Amino acid sequence: MESASIPSGDRPALGRSPLTRSVLARLPDRALKYGLTALAALILALIVYFFIRLIGQARPAFAKEGIFGFIFGNDWNVNAEHFGALPLLVGTLVTSALALLIGVPVAVAAAVYATELCPARLRGALTLLVELLAAVPSVVYGLWGIFFLAPKLADAEQWVADRLSFIPFVGGGHATIPNYFITGLVLAIMILPIVSAIAREVMATVPADHKEAALGLGATRWEMIRMAVLPYCRSGIVGGAMLGLGRAIGETIAVTILIGDAPKLGHHLVEQGYSLAAVIANEFGEAQNVHRSALFAAGLVLFVLTLLVNGVARLLVVRAARSRGARGGRGAASGASVAAGGQAVAGTAVGA
Amino acid sequence: MSASGATAPGGGDAGAHTLARFALSPARRRRDMLARGSILAATVIALVPLALIVYYLLRKGLSSWSVSFFTTDPTGNTFFGGSGIGGIKSAILGTIEIVALASAIAVPIGVCVAIWLVEYGRASWFAQTVRFFVDVLTGVPSIVFGLFVYIVLIVGTGSTYAGYKGSIALALLMLPIVIRSAEVVLVLVPSSLRESALALGAPRWRVIFSVVLPTAAPGMLTGVLLAVARAAGETAPLLFTAAATLNTTFDLGGFMNTLPVQIYKDVTSATTSVEHRAWGAALTLVLMVLLLNLIARLISRRSRLA
Amino acid sequence: MIKNRTVALASCAALALGVAACGSSESSNTSSSKSSNDVSATISGAGSTFAAPVYEQWGSELKGSGLTLNYQPVGSGAGITSLESKTVDFGASDPPLKPADEATIAKNGSPAVQIPMFLGAITVSYNLPGVKAGLKLEGKTIADIYLGKVKTWNDPEIKALNPGVSLPSTAITVIHRSDSSGTTDGFTGFLSDVDPEWKSKVGEGKTVPWPLGTGAKGNPGVAAAVQQTTGAVGYVEQAYALEHNFTYASVKNASGKFVEPSLESTSAAAEGVTVPANLGIKISNPSAPGAYPITSQTFVVVNKDLCKAGTPGGESAAKGVVRFLEYGLGEGQSILSKADYAKLPSAILAKSKEALAGLQCNGKTLGS
Repeated sequence: MESASIPSGDRPALGRSPLTRSVLARLPDRALKYGLTALAALILALIVYFFIRLIGQARPAFAKEGIFGFIFGNDWNVNAEHFGALPLLVGTLVTSALALLIGVPVAVAAAVYATELCPARLRGALTLLVELLAAVPSVVYGLWGIFFLAPKLADAEQWVADRLSFIPFVGGGHATIPNYFITGLVLAIMILPIVSAIAREVMATVPADHKEAALGLGATRWEMIRMAVLPYCRSGIVGGAMLGLGRAIGETIAVTILIGDAPKLGHHLVEQGYSLAAVIANEFGEAQNVHRSALFAAGLVLFVLTLLVNGVARLLVVRAARSRGARGGRGAASGASVAAGGQAVAGTAVGA
Repeated sequence: MSASGATAPGGGDAGAHTLARFALSPARRRRDMLARGSILAATVIALVPLALIVYYLLRKGLSSWSVSFFTTDPTGNTFFGGSGIGGIKSAILGTIEIVALASAIAVPIGVCVAIWLVEYGRASWFAQTVRFFVDVLTGVPSIVFGLFVYIVLIVGTGSTYAGYKGSIALALLMLPIVIRSAEVVLVLVPSSLRESALALGAPRWRVIFSVVLPTAAPGMLTGVLLAVARAAGETAPLLFTAAATLNTTFDLGGFMNTLPVQIYKDVTSATTSVEHRAWGAALTLVLMVLLLNLIARLISRRSRLA
Repeated sequence: MIKNRTVALASCAALALGVAACGSSESSNTSSSKSSNDVSATISGAGSTFAAPVYEQWGSELKGSGLTLNYQPVGSGAGITSLESKTVDFGASDPPLKPADEATIAKNGSPAVQIPMFLGAITVSYNLPGVKAGLKLEGKTIADIYLGKVKTWNDPEIKALNPGVSLPSTAITVIHRSDSSGTTDGFTGFLSDVDPEWKSKVGEGKTVPWPLGTGAKGNPGVAAAVQQTTGAVGYVEQAYALEHNFTYASVKNASGKFVEPSLESTSAAAEGVTVPANLGIKISNPSAPGAYPITSQTFVVVNKDLCKAGTPGGESAAKGVVRFLEYGLGEGQSILSKADYAKLPSAILAKSKEALAGLQCNGKTLGS
């Protein structure tokens, strides 16, 4: 790529072109390329080894319950040595979905405000404040949630649950202090900084000419954001949301404190439940043999869950990028190649 | 980064004024106001929990702060007056040591993998596989990283707990975050920058290290800081790997105390003063991460201006 | 920029080291170890969270004489596993060893020795304004509450035990532990002993399938949950309940008396308990007249020959563990009442000291 990018007609006639380099000079490039490739391969190997090791630990539990029996069995009974992880799976899904539903729009809005609407003096302070949320340890979130937030919201939760009782699961039920809802809410707060930070970084790279083009055509601020900023940032925002989702799915300590740890399926949003990560944290210290293996199996279910979610999200983004490209994408002259190239790369590279 | 913010409002609206009088219907203006209002409201909502948490932490933890709080180790002495319960010195130092080591492992490796993904791997099936597995790793609960290190490095080798093993567990936790956020930012470096550098005859490695990385660095810094903040606050990976000791130690090969573990132990104590210390420690941890954030941002801002 | 960052990190590290260096030296305790065999060693232990404050206190008392204790309160099960995999010098467990565990520990080259250390009780705490402490309850009633059969405080079952006390019709909110814990083990063990229905429906263990109720994490979680809900009932460790002045019930013991959970009644519970050969006592529904029925014990577990079994700290740690246990079973017992834990009855304490005396290092007796 080094010397091939110069068309032959432009090479100076006399002597060796200063642009062609000796094999020795190309060595650092080679070394970098192979070095980095080796590193990536090593990381992949490490991750695969991680899974293999954990599958090995989980196997006895799967042998006992059967894979489907374990994942979809609705009974986690340690004493009876019966391990059905459905209540745990549902708890993880419900709280993570809630965290995304609440957290991502708020995070993206905060990022939009910080980059587009905020007075320049306040920008730094606002950024710092949102990132400060990431500095709070998870155990503090759990404790603050259960000692401060949950009691305060309990009555409101009951009120809303009664009003919405016609909706299955979301409404109705008797609110307990630790429950799915409060867990989802606190998780939303926990993922806010990471989603917002990535969204903000991505929005900051939107080329000024895109935005100015929109404004020049008479768009209002909001329309400019909607047309020029958000579509450009979509894959980046999805990338940030996936990181936030990962955090929500894997959060252990805060969830154990807030979800109530009832090894049964809660039938309503305001009732307590359990989660895959929480059960591992709660029971690992005392677990032996099959029980311990069941906890590793629960961890494995979490990986597969993240795998599926990421796969689906990736598919959606690729499809969206493809359809946008087919429609002609962006029109701005200088930005077109960058945008198209960036989108194509981002669509597949950043992906889900 | 803030060019649009500075030029757009005055320039855009004024220049489009003649057209705008016809094009900007009340409906559009209303929608614009509504959208802007909602965005502002959402931002305020995002900040409310922070205010509540900080207030809560200050209320519960500030009163336990004192000079001796920061300069003495926890003593384990709960029930006799005497030396008192001690402070959290070993926890603070331990956290700094373990997290520093974890960052030293995770950040270079993570950034390099991200560079490879964006510059060399791109859309190849191999890169897709790596990306996929890194994504999956983000969803692993923190405790499982600790358990993995426990199985491989402690039970597997028959050796005991050690600070560096906790660092490895934390590095595993940080790695996918660093890779992912670095990649998101690296991808958005315009190819025109790369192409111009190459056109000037710079070798590939030079382009990466002198053009791409510096451009992406501020964005990557954010991702790195978030990963470090996460690692500093995690208890679960340390419970089965680093193990705690009460004393200050600089030996990463031995037991080491950390703030999250100290908080976790103290907060369930029956003794009120010990529980109180936990909140002081939590406040300390939040402040330490905040300080790190501030320092890093200050440095990056200065170097950008230079 | 990268260079600047390194400088920043380096200066942070330097600052931290400066604080460490300039800070006052680690607090020295007034050590009152009268024994002349001060042992200078570092010992490691893991296990019971229940016993952790006491072990750490002993460790702090012995620090002046050179003994450093590193104790991980990771739970009784993890403590035994750690001992089995030779990650620590001693393990700490609340329930006595299962035969399978004894066998696994013995595989390290020397049989397991469990030494009873002290006792603790589990209170049944409640939040019922207008009703004083000492509400009389019996095992079956408590089981019925936790099974959901007794739903309100003025249920006839409770009324029958408390004539003359005016009980409100508040609904009972059941609180239980959500994390795996020895406290749950002790509580459900008691319920299984006194109520066959509980035993068949729910059983005993560190985690059980609770028929109803809200889960809370740790003693403080249960305590907070009880305090926040009028009409709530929860089981809380004695030390915690006493320190925070909870309102708790008097429970009927096997000889028919309603006993309050005090340190004396807790110690009394171990009187007359059959002590098996391996010292694995388990207090269940004691019959001594002054006994509080919901009581549990805690052990330190080691290999008989520590060095042969490969204790990670080596010979010095073996000596250190013995010194630690000597202190604990001797002077250390005086701390227990201050810490709101209960002493072992003298008969069992003597047996513990005997077991301690039998500990060896590569055949050489360590205990005195």
